[in-house]
Parts: sequence; C-alpha cells; structure tokens
Amino acid sequence: MDDSLEDSPSPPQEPSSKEKKYDRQLRMWGSTGQVALESARVLLIQAGPNAVGIETLKNLVLPGIERYTIVDPSVVTEEDTGVNFFVDGESIGQLKAKVCCQMLQELNPDVDGEYLTEPIESLLRNPSFLLGYSLILVAAPIFSPTLKTIAAYAWEHELPLFYIHSLGFYSYFTVSLPPCFPVIETHPDQSVAAELRLTNPWPELAALAKEVTAGLEEMNDHDHGHVPYVLLLLHYLELWKQDNEGRVPATYREKLEFRKLVEAGARTENAEGGEENYEEAAAAVLKSLNPATLTWSIREIFQATECVELTTDSPIFWFVAAAVKDFERKHHVLPLHGSVPDMKAKTADYIRLQKVYKAKARQDAAEVLANMRVIKGELGCTSEEIYERVVDDFCREAAFVRFFRGQRLPVACGGEDGEFELAGEAVEHEPTSGEGQALEDPESLMPLYITLLAYDVFINSRSRNAPPHSPDSGPTTLLNHAPGHASSTVHTDEQELSRIAHSILFRCTRSGGGDLHNISALTGGMVAQEAIKVITRQYVPADNTVVFDGIRSKVWVFRRTADMFSRP
Amino acid sequence: MGREAYPKQSLGSLYRRIKESRVLLVGAGGIGCELLKNLVLTGFGEIHLVDLDTIDLSNLNRQFLFRHEHIKKPKALVAKGVAGKFNPNVKLEAYHANIKDPMFNIDWFQGFSLVFNALDNLEARRHVNKMCLAADVPLIESGTTGFNGQVQVIKKGRTECYDCNPKETPKTFPVCTIRSTPSQPIHCIVWAKSYLFTEIFGTSEDDAPEFDHSEDSENSEEIEKLRQEAQALKRIRQSIGSPDFARKIFEKIFGEDILRLRSMEDMWKSRRAPEPLDFDKISQQALVIDTSVTQKDQTAWSLPENFVVFSDRYDFLERLRLGELINCSLRRLSARLQDAQAKAANGDVSPVLTFDKDDDDTLEFVAASANLRSIVFGIETKSKFDIKRELPRKELVDGMY
Repeated sequence: MDDSLEDSPSPPQEPSSKEKKYDRQLRMWGSTGQVALESARVLLIQAGPNAVGIETLKNLVLPGIERYTIVDPSVVTEEDTGVNFFVDGESIGQLKAKVCCQMLQELNPDVDGEYLTEPIESLLRNPSFLLGYSLILVAAPIFSPTLKTIAAYAWEHELPLFYIHSLGFYSYFTVSLPPCFPVIETHPDQSVAAELRLTNPWPELAALAKEVTAGLEEMNDHDHGHVPYVLLLLHYLELWKQDNEGRVPATYREKLEFRKLVEAGARTENAEGGEENYEEAAAAVLKSLNPATLTWSIREIFQATECVELTTDSPIFWFVAAAVKDFERKHHVLPLHGSVPDMKAKTADYIRLQKVYKAKARQDAAEVLANMRVIKGELGCTSEEIYERVVDDFCREAAFVRFFRGQRLPVACGGEDGEFELAGEAVEHEPTSGEGQALEDPESLMPLYITLLAYDVFINSRSRNAPPHSPDSGPTTLLNHAPGHASSTVHTDEQELSRIAHSILFRCTRSGGGDLHNISALTGGMVAQEAIKVITRQYVPADNTVVFDGIRSKVWVFRRTADMFSRP
Repeated sequence: MGREAYPKQSLGSLYRRIKESRVLLVGAGGIGCELLKNLVLTGFGEIHLVDLDTIDLSNLNRQFLFRHEHIKKPKALVAKGVAGKFNPNVKLEAYHANIKDPMFNIDWFQGFSLVFNALDNLEARRHVNKMCLAADVPLIESGTTGFNGQVQVIKKGRTECYDCNPKETPKTFPVCTIRSTPSQPIHCIVWAKSYLFTEIFGTSEDDAPEFDHSEDSENSEEIEKLRQEAQALKRIRQSIGSPDFARKIFEKIFGEDILRLRSMEDMWKSRRAPEPLDFDKISQQALVIDTSVTQKDQTAWSLPENFVVFSDRYDFLERLRLGELINCSLRRLSARLQDAQAKAANGDVSPVLTFDKDDDDTLEFVAASANLRSIVFGIETKSKFDIKRELPRKELVDGMY
C-alpha cells in the first residue's frame, strides 16, 4: 500500500539473496513481519525424550528468528533417536541440548543458537533471565510448581508463553498472551468486501459518478456497457433518492425494488443479450448498500478501558484507536480502506475511480493523524513521535483490527492427597455451546483435553519426569485421579466422561508417556505457526488452547479461562 | 526396544505392518521433506522418492533437508542422503525423474502398499491419481497454499478420486511454463495475449498479471534467454507494415524460437518436444482457405485456417494487386497501429494497441496465434468462442500509477 501510494513506482531491483531465500514467506507476512521475526529471541524449556519442542524450534529457525536458547539437562537416550531426527546412534549419552542446538544451527546460518544444561529450576532462582526472550516455549513434562513460576513471571512481564504437550496420538498446547495484545494486520478473508461508501459518497466520488454517467441513455453500446458498476449504482441511487425524499433504499424490499431499477437500465438488444457491468451492479445491491455499521471487533476496541482512559504512557496503538474513534464519532464511518474491486470498465475510468478512492483514504488517514496530535496535546504528551505508518495501517484495516485479552497460563496441579484438582482451571466455549453440550457432543475433544490435564496432574503427583511405564497398571492408577469433579462442575454424565477418559488414558499410557514423531512434528508445526503470528503480530492467533486428536485427525480450538473447574 | 519403543507401544502389533511396508513418495519439496522425515522416523520399511527438481535458494526456508551447498543438486538424491541418516533401519530409494516417465508404469506402482503425493502441480497430481486407480494402490494426496493445506485419502472403489471434482484452474503461471514449456491450451492463450500481442502491438510488459515470477530465480539462465528472445522480437516490430512482416514474425516465433527450445534436450526428456512450423508449406495449404473462416467461431480451426486468420496468405501480394480484401488479423492490427502512430503528434507518447476480448481484431490474433502454438507443442486447439471465454476480462491495474 505504501508503495502504491507513491506517485511513481520505484524501479524494480534485483532481489537480495536473503529476499530470495525468504521469498515464499515474505508473501505471507511481508517485510515488516520478517523484521519482527528476525528480532525474535525464543526460549525452549524441555526435558525428557520428546520431540515437540525441537520440532517447533525447527519451524522457527527455518524462517529466521534472531536466536534461540534450549534449556534441557537431559542426555540423549535410544528412545530419543526414534522421535527426534536431530539425534542418531552416535549421539546417545551426549547432552541433548548441545546436539540439537548444533543441528538446528545448520538449518539456518542466519540464526544464533545456544543451550543451557542447568535444570530450569536452578535457572529460575534468577527469573529475570527470562526477560532476555520475546517468546517462551515449554514442552511437557515439567514439574507443576516450576511451570507456575514461569507462568507468573511471563504474565507479569507480558511475555507470550506456550505450553505444549504431545503424548502418543494426542497433543495440546495453550498460549498465554499478554493482558492486552492488539493485532492490526489480521489479514481478513479476501471475500470480505471493502466498504465503498455508496450510500454516502464524498463530493469527489459523486462528481466522478455524475461525469461518467452523464448522458447514459444516449451512449453507444460500448460506452454504456463499460460504465463501472460502482458509478452506475451511484447514478441510480441519485434517481432513487429523487423519488424517495432523499433517502437511500434501506429495507430488503426497497433494495429489491432498487435492484429492479438498476436491472431495467441494462441494454439487452445487443450481441451479448445483456451487459456485464449492469449484472455486477445488480449483484452488488444487497451487499454494498448497507449503512455503515461498526464491526464488533472495532467496537470492542473503542470500548476498551485502554482506549477510554488514555494516559501519557499508553501504547501507540491506543492513541491511534482513540483518534480513529474520534473520526468515527464525527463522520459516522471508519476511515476508508481505499481499494476498489475489479470490475468491467474502461481502463481509464477504472484508474480514475481508483485514484478517487486512494485520495480519500489518504485524506481520512491524515485526519486521523491530526486527531491524534490533538489527543496527545490534550494529555500533555511531550513526545513528538508521530507514527504515520501505524496510523496508515490502522486506518486501512480499521474494520478488522483486533485485540486479545491474554491470560495467565493455568497450571493443572495434584492436590495434597493426590486427588485430581484443577486449581484456577476453566474452559470457555463458543457462546453457542454450553460446557455440558461440549462434553456430550461425541465430536468434542473436551474429554480428551480433560484427560490430558489429568495425565499432567498424575505425572506430577509421581516422581518428576517419570511417566508410568507399565501399560497395564497405568490406567487404573490414573483413573483414581479421574476428573470426576471436573465432570460435576461442567454438568455432564460422570460415568460417560470416565468411560471416555479411560480409553484415552489407556492409549496415553500405552505410549509409555512418549510422543510419536509424526504427531510431535505436526504439533510443532501448529505451535510454530501460532508463534509466528504472535511474533509478527499478524493474522489471528489461536486464543488460547488447541487440542489435537491424531486418531480422529481432529483439531479443536477453544478459550480456556479462569475458575471454571473450581469447586463451588 | 530402544528406537522403536514409542511407535511399537502405541501401535502394538500393527507396527509390523509399517516396518514391512513399501511406500512411494512423489515430490521432495515443502511437504515432501517433512513427510519423508516423518515416514523415516516412524519406521516405514522401504521408501521410494521421486522428484524432478533441483534445489534452489528459495527452497531453503522450509525444505529443511537442503542446505546452501546443495543448491542446483537434485532434490530426490539429496533428500535421500540426508534423511537416510535419521533411521538406519529404513531402506531409501531415490529417482531424479519425472513421475510421468513411462518407466514408472502400472506394474511399478503396484509394487507399493501406499503412495503419497506431495506435488506442486495439477497435471502430475492427476497422473499419479490415474496410475494409483489403475494399479489399485491407495493414495494420500496433499497440498498447501499459504496458510492453508489439505489432505485427501483416495482408494479405488471406496472414496472419490482426485479428478472426481473439477479443480479450479490457476490464474497465474510461471514464466517458463508460458514461454518455454506450455502443456495446456491456457498456457498458449496467455502467451499469445500477454507476450506476443504486447511485444508486437503494445507496451511490452514483464509484469502481465498472469505471470507468476516466483520460480524465476530457479530458472535464471532460461529467463535470460527468454529476455533476449523478446528483444529480438521487438526488433522485428520495427519493420511493421513491410510486405514480409508477417513472414518474419511467423518464422521467428514458430520457427527459430522453437528450434532453440528444441535444442534444450533436458527439457524434453519427459515431454513431447515442440515441432516448428514451416511458413511456406502451410501457406501453400492455406491457399484454399477462405478468409470468412473467422466467422466460424464455434469449432476449432485447422492448421491452415489458423494460419489464414493469423498471417498473410502466400499469394498476398498478388491478391493485393487484384484489389482483394486482405483479412488476416496481423495485418489489420498492423494497419491500426500505424494509423494511430501517423495521427499522433510529435512528442506524444508512441501509441499502442491494447488487448480487448470484445475487439475482434485483437481476439482473432490471439486465438490464431495461441492455436498455432498449441499445434507446435502438440496441445489441443480451441475455438475462437472458447478462447474468448478463457480470457480474463480486463487487465488489473491496481498500483500501476
């Protein structure tokens, strides 16, 4: 957008070798995303024979993060060679962090890597070392109190934290985002049409419509069939308004009538038996003539405390949000996106139309920028920093900007008596489905999730990092910790949940607590994808838990919140 | 148990079937590298890998089996060498070859218990789909684009196959597909419209919307040759309006350029090599064709018919002397361009013609030259009507000013 706003395109330059190497991913997140990635420092905390952490890191090293650190005190075992492709027979007995660090480095010489073989518990005696990272990955198994410490520290210092567990055919991960996490570039679906402001055109657009549609009836067939549909709609809206006391068609019935008016204008006695531009115009009536309403996402931002109660220290995002809010209050529309869809038109007309839209978008952004100066002035902000780029981006994406309320990573813990207890655990579903429904739905992965949490608790109630190796005794012991009380708080059939949990636990313990390489590889891919979204602040991140069932090949994303499993 | 501990515990007795299986993986690209690693670590007994490509710098950000020092080496062979080390119990076989090569026949496909498609193009996917149906071997088909991906299991008689649903044809094409190795009518149509037409009558543009430059860096030598080829064509443009203009153009694009392509033997190992067209011979055949052939727009024209629509007939000069109407599209367009240039005031930008599918002159030129190119490459020809339908409606000009 920045480039196309320039009046003359810059001469094309031979791409650098770095641009060539990262060519495919630059198409996804652009150079701003790449810059963010290249300054990201990722910490991986893991222990025991599992591959999911390393697989995640592989997918972050390849696209080029700045650096990574692996914390892992364990040595390579023979089991490792079956799940982790970085280690082979020769590395058995060596420090796993060291071997993996070296191999990861080979994947991308642009990335720095280091490893620490001190146990995480001793490193956490000085938790401020976590501040050196922009993102933390923790791969299970991990001692619950240790995880709690990390979760609390990451939350307090607004560090994104991922907790990942891959177990046999199953896996899940939870993302703990900072308390307020805005995303400007959410990359909405291409099919979502940009607002065209047809019901309230600004003077330049109205003038263009008037000029191009002048003498419409007398035009020759070629010209008549090439009037851009946007301008046709504006023309017929004017006619409609003359007959309707200046109002635009608002109700469904009126829109249908208006569509008839448009369709009646098309010439049918030509070779094609109709006109494509008129067809486009008619097709756009129902979706393009809606009064400007705020998307729920921008409404949420306008109402956020951070937007209402600005302070001099507020992040730039909220200053821009407040400036856009002022714009909206004054004009009752969001700043114009500025792009025009493809349509049947003469090239010259189409370019003029584009220019009118682009110019208006620029004008709107300038007004927002001016609003922001006023707001800053009122607050007595001394900083002269003006973030034009953020303003441009925000204005362009205004309808789709999102922000997320992260939360502290909930940690499942065993009670004193080894009883299953999910302190501070909670699950929140899509508003349409209650928790009970989610459990009774055979398609739901909720039982799997609860069982995996129970497994975490069980592991922690035993000695650390020592999964139950006996496939026979495992389930019975585990089921003593079965999530019976979880089922009572989510109002479902306890016996049914136990039955499902039993079969899941059987498979979990049968895997001997280990992961399968392919499941870990797939999970590592998903975690890395979410990590990239968080690092680049682009696209919509999974908020906040993802469960994968490799037997049914099903993924479930839901938001886990505080206090759902707590006792009444 | 060691290395096999976890999969053995999870799969129980089924694990033996994995160890004893013989599987085929077609493609060692983004999906292929990851899948090969997963198959090797899971312990599939014997894995055969086929890939035609060599490694390029732009692969390294995701095809993690390859390093900088592997650039230009065959993907299949490097992948085998690297992934083979992940598990000494797995037997790997690699082929630097096109899966459409006749040596990969039905018998060969029948030797596998499972086939994985990790391909990047429709044509090869369709081919493997067909082979797997014929051999009755289950196929797992996969693909990604951007942040989206899909996997489909295809088993004869049990599931739908890859071609059971019509697939949306891509709207952009790699430059080399258009300029050097077309395999479908649309490739020739795009060539005629976005390359030939603009080079002769328009402003030559490297950035026609149909061109996908993402593979340019992988084919830099060929891209350079193509650039020279385009410049040679531009020089011929200087002689527009001269009596032998049509012959010059024809012999350049359907003769000389084709001979150059033909000489690149590697390109035609698994494709049919193009056959150049002979101007004199075809213009003799074209003597009996009436120029009203352009009205016949619902059926595909024959070679001499296409020739007549595209170019002057052999007896052009004589007929001109007799005052007959000369009706080939090349000459009509040349006349229009010269006319516009004559009218343009000095100092104005030199006028050009722009393609419009509703403009019969430009449409016929594109249709005839696309069909002639299809004949050269052994591709099915299309009627003027069908070609009009395939053409994009309007140039996208977003961001061009």
